[in-house]
Amino acid sequence: MALRVEYLVRETGNNLRRNVALTIPAVLTVAVSLALFGVSLLLGGGADRFTQQWRGGIEFIIFMNPDASQDQIDLIQNAVNTSPEVKKWKYFDKQMAFDEFRELFKDKPDLVNSVTPDILPPSYRVVPQNPDADAVTALAAQFENQPGVKQVRKATDVIKDVESLTRYIKIGLWVTSIVLFAVSLLLILNTIFTAMTARRREIEVMKLVGATNWFIRVPFMLEGLIQGVSGAIVAVIATSVFNGQVFPRIQRLEILKDFRVDSGQLWTTSIWLIVLGCVIGVVGSLFGVSRYLDV
Amino acid sequence: MIKLENVTKTYKGDVVALRGASVDIQKGEFVFLVGQSGSGKSTFMRLLNREEVPTEGQIFVAGKDIGSLSSWKVPYLRRNIGCVFQDFKLLNKKTVAENVGFALEVIGRPRHVVVKQVPAILELVGLGDKMLKFPDELSGGEQQRVSIARAFVNRPLILLADEPTGNLDPETSVGIMRLLDRINRTGTTVVMATHDRGIVDTMRRRVIELNRGVIVRDQHRGVYE
Repeated sequence: MALRVEYLVRETGNNLRRNVALTIPAVLTVAVSLALFGVSLLLGGGADRFTQQWRGGIEFIIFMNPDASQDQIDLIQNAVNTSPEVKKWKYFDKQMAFDEFRELFKDKPDLVNSVTPDILPPSYRVVPQNPDADAVTALAAQFENQPGVKQVRKATDVIKDVESLTRYIKIGLWVTSIVLFAVSLLLILNTIFTAMTARRREIEVMKLVGATNWFIRVPFMLEGLIQGVSGAIVAVIATSVFNGQVFPRIQRLEILKDFRVDSGQLWTTSIWLIVLGCVIGVVGSLFGVSRYLDV
Repeated sequence: MIKLENVTKTYKGDVVALRGASVDIQKGEFVFLVGQSGSGKSTFMRLLNREEVPTEGQIFVAGKDIGSLSSWKVPYLRRNIGCVFQDFKLLNKKTVAENVGFALEVIGRPRHVVVKQVPAILELVGLGDKMLKFPDELSGGEQQRVSIARAFVNRPLILLADEPTGNLDPETSVGIMRLLDRINRTGTTVVMATHDRGIVDTMRRRVIELNRGVIVRDQHRGVYE
């Protein structure tokens, strides 16, 4: 077994060294495709958080006073329930508001700890029949200045723009990264193919003396795996740098201050990138060896 | 040890390389395979090593039907069959010892076995003092000895030699034949394809002659023709 590990390390190392001119482009392509994918995941997460309160066509939120009486709450409920201009509505009590707050600020435990459900306002989230700006404004105005209502907040154009812009950016990044995935697969396949061609005499001898196909394959597959994982590591670094440098700049804009990525999401994204790097490497090299090793 | 039952091999385009061949070779025999170029000698050898599968008929090696062997078992069959070629098939970037050790290494033999067996087999073929040389520093005869050492280091049941003296002068060829004879005396079955009339006539072993894919002669203690 010791010999086998030594053999694998030596052969894989030799292949990578001999093939360096092809290995570097393959690793870089994997890195770029995965980095784009990683950024699109982070961007999607940030946008989701930013627009979380407004998903499902919600156009305005009626925030009650935290100390509003049950009668006042019921009165508003009755009004939204009977209004023909309201398509759907949902009541968020203090506990739900607190849960949402905790989710939104989960990477800021000090802030979460300083808040209790009592001080958070219950709210009604309203989806109107007519989403036109004028109709929404008119409908929202009906609830302003009602007893117990603290504030009526409308979905701003910025939120809608951010939602659609991030959707387009995400689609763009996805398409680009899928194309680059395919390119990286082909590049790895080509690298493995070249490595096998360079060693065809050796492979011929190995087959003749009774080496199993797996024994012949594994060093080449390891080569592909190393290329994939190396690309993924570069992509993880690039994604972290993007997260550290670009997102804080986005948040500096007051209106986009909720556009945030927490450290948990960065971890999840990194794990995804490493797993995808492994898959690209192994699949690319598997295609390469299976086409060559028809014993 | 080797049994062919009515074996036919047809390549694409209906080219018949071997037609209805039936042969029974016992353990420890030394068999010459003779015939003109294109008579089917190489196909015969490739069928025994399972580099080809018969179109019709059955081939048994050590009692196993190798035609129906699943592909993952083929490497294990080949560990029992050593191969020697006219062009040696040595790896020029490896030393003599590495070339021979490679054959053990790639079938997963432990290092202590490799370290013990490689010098022993190189002594046997008369190259004990050239272990660290590279193939291109050796003569043709010496390179063929390395190739024989590699084929025999795993102590196979069968040794297939396809024109092993084809690239060598008569004097060197005699040395190679002595070596193959010595290997045969250890109980290894040797099947050798050759055009070398002198060798066949001198050795007087079993001769199987092929002509256009058909076995036209199978003679014990035979001559070239």
